[in-house]
Amino acid sequence: MARGLEFENVVAHHYGPLYQFAFSLTRNEAEACDLTQQTFYIWAAKGHQLRDVSKVKTWLFTTLHREFLGSRRRQTRFPHVELDDTTGDLPAVPPASVNQLDSGHLLEALGQLDEVYRAAVVLFYIEDYSYNEIAQVLDIPLGTVKSRLTRGLQRLHQLLTNVPPQP
Amino acid sequence: MNRGEAKQILIIYRPGTSDADDPEIAEALALVRRDPELSRWFDEHCALQTALRDKFRQIAPPAALKEQIISEHTARTKASQRERVVGVTAVAAILVALALVAFHWWPQKSEQPYPRPNTLANYHREMVTIALNSYAMTAMTNLDQVHSWLAQNKAPSDYVLPAGLKKVAVTGCAVEPFRSATASLICFRKGNTLPPGQAGDLWLFVIDQTAVQDAPATASPQFTPVNGLMTATWTQNGKLYLLATKGDEQAIQKFL
Repeated sequence: MARGLEFENVVAHHYGPLYQFAFSLTRNEAEACDLTQQTFYIWAAKGHQLRDVSKVKTWLFTTLHREFLGSRRRQTRFPHVELDDTTGDLPAVPPASVNQLDSGHLLEALGQLDEVYRAAVVLFYIEDYSYNEIAQVLDIPLGTVKSRLTRGLQRLHQLLTNVPPQP
Repeated sequence: MNRGEAKQILIIYRPGTSDADDPEIAEALALVRRDPELSRWFDEHCALQTALRDKFRQIAPPAALKEQIISEHTARTKASQRERVVGVTAVAAILVALALVAFHWWPQKSEQPYPRPNTLANYHREMVTIALNSYAMTAMTNLDQVHSWLAQNKAPSDYVLPAGLKKVAVTGCAVEPFRSATASLICFRKGNTLPPGQAGDLWLFVIDQTAVQDAPATASPQFTPVNGLMTATWTQNGKLYLLATKGDEQAIQKFL
């Protein structure tokens, strides 16, 4: 483990966002817990190889995403989508209607996003990651990050306009 | 860049982040400042992004997740330490076992008859061991027969028996090797009834004096207890004599 980083401190600082990321990807509490736990297990075994302490968060998110992909590799084929594919007017989602949504509806909309967009969108919202950091976590080029975010957010906003707001 | 293109670019913009540092976004933001309609859309977009970000951050992990991760890590660490201790113990046990094997093996090897030197002490010990344990004796009751048999078997036969020994009943003889030489063994019975399976209780070994490197050069017997027997050793006419029997020095002297 990197010097000065006690396991319990690392868990305390990062387990929440990691779980949010895992839950957003899987939309299943048990799977999200397993992914989060597995990530810290790998950290306990290999974290000492990380020399730059400031990269712990990115290392954890990258590891969790890899584990997620590993568990889904045989189930999903990711389509390649170019930025040019985005067409049409952007859907207008009133912020007030989003405020009325509960997390369940948001996750339902998120679940309808293709997994290839979902990871980028979740990282975009949960941790305020920069585009470069998202590229690093997902191990994809910067241009692909922007492409996936544009397409994913457009689709998410579209899905949210179709969700009836809470009474 | 037109308004539509600016919206496409700004859809990935989040307020309060470093997104504005991106050149494309910076260019779109410049257009926002010049275009009131785009600016209204942008304000609404920022509010939406903030609302969505808040919603995502409301996803709460299960209450016990942190404790579960930490307790599992602690359990794994302890298990790993136990495995390490077991491993070290196993290695130590193997090393001890190897040491014991080596300990038992080396002394055995050193006790092999060869290449132990042909010293008088070794000759004493080996001949007494033969007398007490086993020898392939040819039974005879006559000293002349014994002499002839030993001569035929190329064992020392030009020996001179002490006067005391001539009075004792002979029971047979055998030939025993000692290094590259051959010793004659003549077995006697002192008069007592021999235990079952025993062919004698008084033994005389004769070998060439040169076969034992530190054989005594005197005809005067030297008495040495060896493995529970009393021995008398002397040299006469190039032959080394070794007489052995149970008892003390006095007991053996009457056969000399």
